[in-house]
Amino acid sequence: MLDRPAYMLLRALRNMRQSPVLCGAAIGTVAVSLTILAFFVLIVINVQQLTSHWSREIQVTAYLDRIPEERRLQEWIGEIRRQPEVAGVVFISKQQAFERFRQRLQQEADLLDGLDAEILPASLEITLAEQYRSRQGVDTVVAGLKKNPHLADVRYGQDWLERFEAFLRLLRLAGAILGAFLLFAALFIVSNTIKLTLYARRDELEVMALVGATPLFIKLPFLLEGAIQGLVGGVLALCGAFLFFQLLLREGLQTILMLPGSASIQFLPYTYQLALLGAGVLLGGFGSLVSLRKLLRT
Amino acid sequence: MIQLFNVSKAYQKDSAALSEITLKVPKRDFVYLTGASGAGKSTLLKLLFGAEKPSRGQILINGQNITRMLSRIPALRRRMGIVFQDFKLLNRRTIFENVAFPLEIQGKKRYEIGKKVYQALQQVGLEHKLQRFPLELSGGEQQRVAIARALVVDPLVLIADEPTGNLDPEVALEIMDLFKVANARGSTVVLATHDREMIRRIPRRVITLEGGRLIDDQTP
Repeated sequence: MLDRPAYMLLRALRNMRQSPVLCGAAIGTVAVSLTILAFFVLIVINVQQLTSHWSREIQVTAYLDRIPEERRLQEWIGEIRRQPEVAGVVFISKQQAFERFRQRLQQEADLLDGLDAEILPASLEITLAEQYRSRQGVDTVVAGLKKNPHLADVRYGQDWLERFEAFLRLLRLAGAILGAFLLFAALFIVSNTIKLTLYARRDELEVMALVGATPLFIKLPFLLEGAIQGLVGGVLALCGAFLFFQLLLREGLQTILMLPGSASIQFLPYTYQLALLGAGVLLGGFGSLVSLRKLLRT
Repeated sequence: MIQLFNVSKAYQKDSAALSEITLKVPKRDFVYLTGASGAGKSTLLKLLFGAEKPSRGQILINGQNITRMLSRIPALRRRMGIVFQDFKLLNRRTIFENVAFPLEIQGKKRYEIGKKVYQALQQVGLEHKLQRFPLELSGGEQQRVAIARALVVDPLVLIADEPTGNLDPEVALEIMDLFKVANARGSTVVLATHDREMIRRIPRRVITLEGGRLIDDQTP
């Protein structure tokens, strides 16, 4: 009985060798399906990266009507920093605020001529740690700030935050639905292709059953064959996705998403690459299983 | 030993393919199953090797009730040889591989497979065509390969559905000789045929079906 797994593998390989066209069709289908899926995942990953880049914009600004003495100011800053949600606190003096404003006005900067830096308030700009860049995180930080009566005037771009969160929700939902749809479509196509390959060999399935092979014994080589085809398809898909990524996607995405230079478009991380190969194996194996169940009713 | 008790089979609700068949075939018996087309011969054979389940009644083979435990059917078929009118050989495999198939499935050792396959092919007179493919052989030769595949497992029961239906009369007689020999070596043979001439030339017990009912059971 020990040489059974070897026998199964041998049969799977022999079957593949005996019908190279069908085997190629199954591998090709897996490869194409997974390439599309990989493409989609690539886009989602990069959009997600972009949103995390955007989320750096989520910050809370506390305006100071009067600038306290240096020691008090440092105390306040220290207090704010101790909150786990807070990543950093920067003091922006009136002068700095005025300079920033001037830069933002660009050509119209001369509007500010004759005005004094005193017109703008000094502020504390609080950036949030990445995992707290959400409505809830902001609320917590704001609540903490409001305990200090001198920091009562707090702004945090509420509208922008809500829209950002709605966008993220939509992105996740669309990602999940489209991803599930693509995976399902892939499974459907792959299982149908494998059904064709099995159909071409139904005489063999029938004879196996007639001479006393157990259903598991009949199925295993085909499952194995499906899994091998899936794995090969997965490897091809990975190569295909990488090639497309290098030739087309990298530049295109960079332009579409208008990512600033610091954040570059990335290829699938290793875990995703492994997951893609795993998806190939599962797709092939499961595709065979679905077809086998239909063919082996008798 | 094959026993059937009140076995009925209906594919559709109103029309019974077999009704109320009760039958006993002792060990080493040779039985013809005869009747016109559609009388239920093939259905009865399918019930015997578990390709169909009876709608009612019980079937016992060597004391095992095969109607209850579907999972026993593979084990049952390993001690059974089944031969069809259309041979059911794998055309992409050699004669040797075709005959070796049942033993391969049983996980037999390679040298044992080689020996048994050669013996089985010798029995049917085709040991010199080991490496040929089925479609390179004549119809009679292909049926002999199918019989070798059935005999290679030393079957307790040999079931044949019109095994000579596609063959010339002389070739058919040669094929029948092989069943006679298998029977003499200890296999119970159940052979469906509508060839009256064959039954006359090789007289054995004859069970006649008509419209799904057993209407006659005669032993010469």
